[in-house]
Amino acid sequence: MIQVIQILILGIALGGVYALMSSGMTLIFGVMRIVNLAHSAFIVLAAYLAFFVFKTFNIDPIVSMAFTMPVMFLVGVIYYRLLFASRADNPRFADITVLVTFATALVIEGILAFIFTGIYRSTTPTYAKTSINFGPFFIPQSQLYALIISIVLIVGLWMFMRYTRIGNAIRATMQNRNAAQVVGVNVTWISTLSFGIGLAMAGAAGSLLSFVFTFYPAKHIAWIGMIMCLVVLGGMGSLVGALVSSFLLATAAAYVNFYFGAAWSPITFYLSLFLILLFRPQGLFGKKVEG
Amino acid sequence: MGTLVVENVVAGYGSGPNILKGLSLTVESGKAYCIIGPNGAGKSTLIKVIAGLLKPREGKIFFKGEDITPLRADQVLQRGLCYVPSDRSLFPDMTVKENLRMGGFVMRDTRKVDERIDELFAQFPILKEKSSQMAKTLSGGQQQLAAIARAMVLKPEMIMLDEPSLGLSPKVVQQIFGTITTLRDQGLTILLVEQNARKGLQIADMGVVLDLGTNSFEAPACDVLNDPRIQELYLGKRHQAVAAEECK
Repeated sequence: MIQVIQILILGIALGGVYALMSSGMTLIFGVMRIVNLAHSAFIVLAAYLAFFVFKTFNIDPIVSMAFTMPVMFLVGVIYYRLLFASRADNPRFADITVLVTFATALVIEGILAFIFTGIYRSTTPTYAKTSINFGPFFIPQSQLYALIISIVLIVGLWMFMRYTRIGNAIRATMQNRNAAQVVGVNVTWISTLSFGIGLAMAGAAGSLLSFVFTFYPAKHIAWIGMIMCLVVLGGMGSLVGALVSSFLLATAAAYVNFYFGAAWSPITFYLSLFLILLFRPQGLFGKKVEG
Repeated sequence: MGTLVVENVVAGYGSGPNILKGLSLTVESGKAYCIIGPNGAGKSTLIKVIAGLLKPREGKIFFKGEDITPLRADQVLQRGLCYVPSDRSLFPDMTVKENLRMGGFVMRDTRKVDERIDELFAQFPILKEKSSQMAKTLSGGQQQLAAIARAMVLKPEMIMLDEPSLGLSPKVVQQIFGTITTLRDQGLTILLVEQNARKGLQIADMGVVLDLGTNSFEAPACDVLNDPRIQELYLGKRHQAVAAEECK
């Protein structure tokens, strides 16, 4: 029984980071219908940024969020403006985004491999090596910090979307792009901003997972599959959905990992993807996509 | 000099053909105009061009003497020219009140927006009743009312309605047209696009017939209703007697 609860604790701890990783992707899809296959590559890029400032200036990876988030925000704004803004009205926009973002992911991977080589990296702040014990249970300190910060960021994003004028404009654009234009929302501006916010979340995720996981330039391939599963399971575009599915699947994967072995745990994600597509294709919290 | 002047506008979508082919139209302040015409004549395109949602390829649009052709949609709204699209275009997962708040998006003063919403709730009690319901749960007629109210949040001088009767039952259509008549009587300038030509012309002062992207016929609504060619083309012969009778 102790073991069962311990696995639950570890699953939940990972779920927070997963949720942060998928939140940006679901936001970007929701507002712009961009299937951002480069999302995990941007996360890896941010992880390397955190790694770089940790190695060079000895800046703590949590503190480095103050650097990775704005940098990735800017990257997102420029990236969207350069490659997507002028194509938003193209009837094949979604197809275009899949190809363009996949190409982007490969380019990022190549550049990172060139600069940092393919060696496994991670940042090693002191809290990355210790665990907090309570009774018979433990939680790695790094995962606890990552969990708390992830939740704070996601709740912050959710409140921003709910209670601010700009956040309402983002939600309005997600629900009905035409209507948003009709009431005077500059949807190009909102899209640019949302892409920036989405990548800022990727930036935060990069900083946090730099001390939770090890990473290498091609790691994004493994992560994008997982993130896609989380986003589709939650309902593409739904922030709450991404959060719930992250905790569900992270926990499920932790149990599979324990009882069947690590090799089987990715199956958890893909199996759930098949099941959700069979029985509820719009996802747990998704809206049926119009048109 | 009309309040809205459309001058030789040529417009189309993407790299597609011209839908509007040199259309001119003058709308006078405080009057209701009904635009009729077959599918593909460019009725909705005209409204989108005026609202600033589609840039014309040629021509100019003036509102109250100002050239609004280069303005963005939000800037056109701020000039007092609002638009209700044919699909109502509400935000389905926002409440009625949130939808109305979005109507005031270009006003930065949220307190003013809320005051205005209270006024509109007094005018449309059914919306007040449903104010905390999601827009997608409303009936078609209620959605249309909400869309009109959302446009009215900005206290516009002119409102453009694209097919307000679309998909509504005759009884509900009657109510919606009653609402539009009230707005007209309050002095609002109205530009109405309507497939239901007879109904639209009955509440309008002027009728405009679009055909193939140009303004082919413009006359007082009564004359349009009674014009034998129009009756044959758009109203159906059997309405002839009724139309003549209902016209003042």
